Amino acid sequence: MAKSSKLDTLTSELENRLDELFREDGQPGEPLQFRDAPSQPLAELKKIVLSIDWEITPEAVESFLAQIRLLKEAYQADKIVSMFLQILGSLGQYIKSNRSKAHPSTFSLLNSVFARLEEITSFPKMRELEKRKLLQMEMTAYQQLREKISQRRAADEAKPVPPAPAKPPAIPAASEVTAPMLAQAVAELKEFFRSEMAALRRQLKLKIDASR
Amino acid sequence: MAFVNLKNKLIQVKIVYYGPGRGGKTTNLEYINRKFQHRINSEMVTVKTHGDRTLFFDFLPFDVGLVNGYQIKIQLYTVPGQVKYDATRRLVLRGVDGIVFVADGMLVRRETNIQSLRNLQENLASYKKSLRTLPWVLQYNKMDLKEQGIPMMPIEMLEQDLNQESPRPYFPASALEGTNVVATLKKIITLTIASIRKELL
Repeated sequence: MAKSSKLDTLTSELENRLDELFREDGQPGEPLQFRDAPSQPLAELKKIVLSIDWEITPEAVESFLAQIRLLKEAYQADKIVSMFLQILGSLGQYIKSNRSKAHPSTFSLLNSVFARLEEITSFPKMRELEKRKLLQMEMTAYQQLREKISQRRAADEAKPVPPAPAKPPAIPAASEVTAPMLAQAVAELKEFFRSEMAALRRQLKLKIDASR
Repeated sequence: MAFVNLKNKLIQVKIVYYGPGRGGKTTNLEYINRKFQHRINSEMVTVKTHGDRTLFFDFLPFDVGLVNGYQIKIQLYTVPGQVKYDATRRLVLRGVDGIVFVADGMLVRRETNIQSLRNLQENLASYKKSLRTLPWVLQYNKMDLKEQGIPMMPIEMLEQDLNQESPRPYFPASALEGTNVVATLKKIITLTIASIRKELL
C-alpha cells in the first residue's frame, strides 16, 4: 500500500515536472520553420536542389533522384506535378551522367523548374489553366536545353582529334584518324537522335494523357 | 540499462528514436531542442551527411530536474534510418531504456516501416532485449501531409502493421509542426521511469 502510494507520488511528480518543462505556451523558441509550410512535401527536394547548385557530388545527385522517385509515387495522381517531376528527373539523370561537364543552362533550368513546381504545390487553389501555362513554359525551356545540348555534342564530336603526342609527326595522323572517328560520330549521332526522339515521343504521350 | 545511483540519487535514462530513414526522428529532436532550448539548457549534437540526412546519430541530453528527491537526466538519441547503417543503429541501441518508433505515415513508406520495426526487433535481440519487455511508444508521423493530397495510411493500417503484438501507446503526429511531439516524449519518459521504479523505491 505504502509502495503503491510512493509510485503514485513519483508518477505524479514526474508528470508535473514534464508539464512544466515542456509547456507549449508560445514562449520564445517558436515558431519553428524548418521548411516553408505550404510546400512541405518538397522541402527535402529543395535542400538537395540547393546542394547541387552549390556542389555536384554523386551523393547529392543520387539523393535528388531518390527524392524524385519518392515524390513521383506520392504525386502519381497529379498529372501536372508528375510532369514537373519528370522534367526534374531527366535533368537529374543528365547531371548524373555529365556532372560538371553538364551544359551550364542545366542548373538554372533545374532551379527554375523546381521554383515553378514549388509555386504550384504551394497554392493548391491555383487554377488548372495557370498550372498548365507554367508547365508549358518549363517544357519549352527544357526542349530548348535539349537542343542546345544536341548542338554542343554535335560540335564536340565534329572537332578533329589532335594527334597523340607519342606518335612521330611524320605520320598524317589527322587524315587517318578522322575518317573512322567521323563514322563513329555519325553512328553516335544517329543513336542520340533515336533516343531523343523516343524520349520526346514518351513525353508527348504523357502530355496527351495529362490533358485528357 | 538506466544508470541509477542511489547514493547520489541520480537517474540517467537513454531513449532512442528509431524508425525508417527520413521518417522524422531528427525532426522530433530538433523540435524539442529549438522549442524548449530556453528551459532545457542543452545542446543537440548532430552529425550529418552532405545531403542533410543523419549519418551517425543525433544526441540531445537534458535534465528533468528533481523528482521525488531524484535528479533525473534524459538522453535522447536518434539512429540513422538508412538500411546500410545497421551497425550504427545497433550500437546506439546499446543500453537503451525506452524507444520511440517513428513511423512514416505516407502510404508509399508502408513496407519500409515494417522492415524498420523488424530490424529493431532483431537488433534488440542481439542485446537480449525485446519489445515485449522494453517501454516503447509509436509515433505515426507526417500526418500534416494529408492536407497536401499525399496518400497517407489510415491509423488502423499503421496499427495493424506495427502495433499488434502487445499494443503500445501511439501518437499521430507531425514532427515538423510539433503536433504530438511533446506528448510522445512525455509518454516515453514516464513509461521508462516507471519501468525502473523498483530500483527507486
